[in-house]
Amino acid sequence: HGVRRTRDTQQALAAKRERDKAKLSAYLVLTDDILIRACTLSLLHNLFTRTFKKNKDWSREAFGLTTQLLSTHTDVINPEFYTIWNYRRNILLQRYLSGKVCHPPHISIIRSPFILRSSPDEIHEVLDNDLAMTTKLLKVHPKVYWIWNHRRWCLEHIPEGPNSANAQAWRLSTWERELFIVEKMLEADSRNFLAWDYRRYVVASMPARRSDKAELAYTTKKIEANFSNFSAWHQRTKVISSLWASGETDKASSLQKEFALVQNAMFTLPEDQSAWLYHRWLIGSGDDKVILEREIEVVQTLLAEQPDSKWCMDSLVTYKLLLLNNHLHVGSQESINVTKQCLALLAQLEEIDPMRRQRYHDIG
Amino acid sequence: MSDTLLTNLHVKYIQNLGKNKDDLTYHMTAHLRMNAVYWGVTALCIMKHKDALDAEETIEYVMSCWDDEAGAFGAHPGHDAHILSTLSAIQVLATHDALARIDAPRVIDFVLGLQQPSGVFAGDAFGETDTRFLYCAVSALSLLGALDRLDRARTVAYLAACRNFDGGFGRVAGAESHAAQVWVCTAALAILDRLDVIDVSTLGWWLAERQLPNGGLNGRPEKLEDVCYSYWVLSSMAILNKLTWIDATALTRFILSAQDPDGGGIADRPGDMVDVFHTLFGVAGLSLLGYPGLDDLDPVYCMPASLIERLGLKKGWKALPRREA
Repeated sequence: HGVRRTRDTQQALAAKRERDKAKLSAYLVLTDDILIRACTLSLLHNLFTRTFKKNKDWSREAFGLTTQLLSTHTDVINPEFYTIWNYRRNILLQRYLSGKVCHPPHISIIRSPFILRSSPDEIHEVLDNDLAMTTKLLKVHPKVYWIWNHRRWCLEHIPEGPNSANAQAWRLSTWERELFIVEKMLEADSRNFLAWDYRRYVVASMPARRSDKAELAYTTKKIEANFSNFSAWHQRTKVISSLWASGETDKASSLQKEFALVQNAMFTLPEDQSAWLYHRWLIGSGDDKVILEREIEVVQTLLAEQPDSKWCMDSLVTYKLLLLNNHLHVGSQESINVTKQCLALLAQLEEIDPMRRQRYHDIG
Repeated sequence: MSDTLLTNLHVKYIQNLGKNKDDLTYHMTAHLRMNAVYWGVTALCIMKHKDALDAEETIEYVMSCWDDEAGAFGAHPGHDAHILSTLSAIQVLATHDALARIDAPRVIDFVLGLQQPSGVFAGDAFGETDTRFLYCAVSALSLLGALDRLDRARTVAYLAACRNFDGGFGRVAGAESHAAQVWVCTAALAILDRLDVIDVSTLGWWLAERQLPNGGLNGRPEKLEDVCYSYWVLSSMAILNKLTWIDATALTRFILSAQDPDGGGIADRPGDMVDVFHTLFGVAGLSLLGYPGLDDLDPVYCMPASLIERLGLKKGWKALPRREA
């Protein structure tokens, strides 16, 4: 995605071929001492799959080869070569962990308790190294699923510490560090959904559980930094729902705070859809007439300031329809008025947002 | 800048893929080769040039990716089995009427064995879960005629758990809505006859709002347009019968402008490098929009509509009518 095309001249093409050849040669020099004589990258990959993997070579050399293929030689590494990640994990399992190699479809192997083949110290060290490796890789490839997955796997295999007084120490510090790392990733790209997914996983899995309220505060921070951060608003819907469901937060008073927050966003950035989507979610099925009418007023006020605001008009139509269907008597003067208002708004919407004309027409 | 589909150029582009084995890119993409074969074959079918690639060669390649330890297909010979490549393999073989070559019982076991207690599917033994894999499982079982072996209730329950405040779906329960995940969840629900799980008016609205002023579609709010969303968003809308809620003319123009008029192929957006992924999804999007001269595409399976109909798997969906040239 996102790679510009150049009109390659013959010269440029030839130069590119030379550069690629140089990369391949450098790559191959590195692997020369691991018994592999390859003249192309395809041969190398073939040798990996047909020789090492086929012979189930779980040696240090094999492990070293996976490191190179996945991370060391930055010119030609391919962190998306998932078979090599699998192989690396199998070496870790074979050499350090259970001695059981993972073959699909026996997923139970990775979820069930494993026998430690090495001392906890050794296991901790080797997994810590892999975590460090994925941290480096994620900085360059923040959206590669396979890297996030390997990180998760390492985390789940961190053993209890050998010190009985503080057996959970490793796990506690490792997971705290995870939260810190994922926060850094989200600072770099606040819309990276793999990072958000990972954050949700860490928050749910940490031995020292983070409260929903703490997570809510995190989403507030992200939203106040950028009202346009849809990912943060989305996270907020999950956290708030959880707080309401558990009864930890009183829904009625919380709702008021949420409306205040989202109105702030709507008035500051009326052209941004995140706040409008969140607002619509807060309104929900429109059961509460008081809230519904109040919010219609709010949007009406904003529309007066921003007469061309499509979101204002679309929201008004949606909310007035809720009013119509839930609270007004069929045939009453009020319902007739509201219907007329909706039709007028829809006609305006067809004008200012012609791409979605048919939707406005259908609603009408 | 082109205002017509450069079919012959795209056919040649696809034919030439994989011919240049000295190209670094070729090797760097081995991990998705099976998917690439599916993308190429399907694009050719939509463009009515199915025979541009030799069927037997293609089938042989697919079979060479069989991972006998796992009982399923990997991305490339010697690569581990994964549900993504397994579905692509099934799709390619089905397209070439060669499903009989599959050891179906083993593949079915592989797929079913990947379902988690929550209802989601993992991609392989190492357990990454994603609604994409759930879709792969449902589609694969459906194409192999083994959907009755699926725990439907558990599967649908997980899909419902992935539904978000905006009507969309994410890659796992709790995850943000994203057009590609919306498609896999919507299509899976279509196969399972459970579109009732979807809030159609809200999701239809969210999908319609993916269209940007330049006519292209993005995958989620505040993101850039990308040709592949022409497929993910459009096919979801076709399944929900809301395809008229976007501007077809503007989108058609956008897709056509992302073509490479010299070498063929389609890119994610105008001026970028082409690839077979965007070539398929650009052509698929055009087919759903009724572009003349193309074959119908089934938006639930992303395979030729006639084939899916012949297999008795067609669901209710609505594309735009095919225009005359």
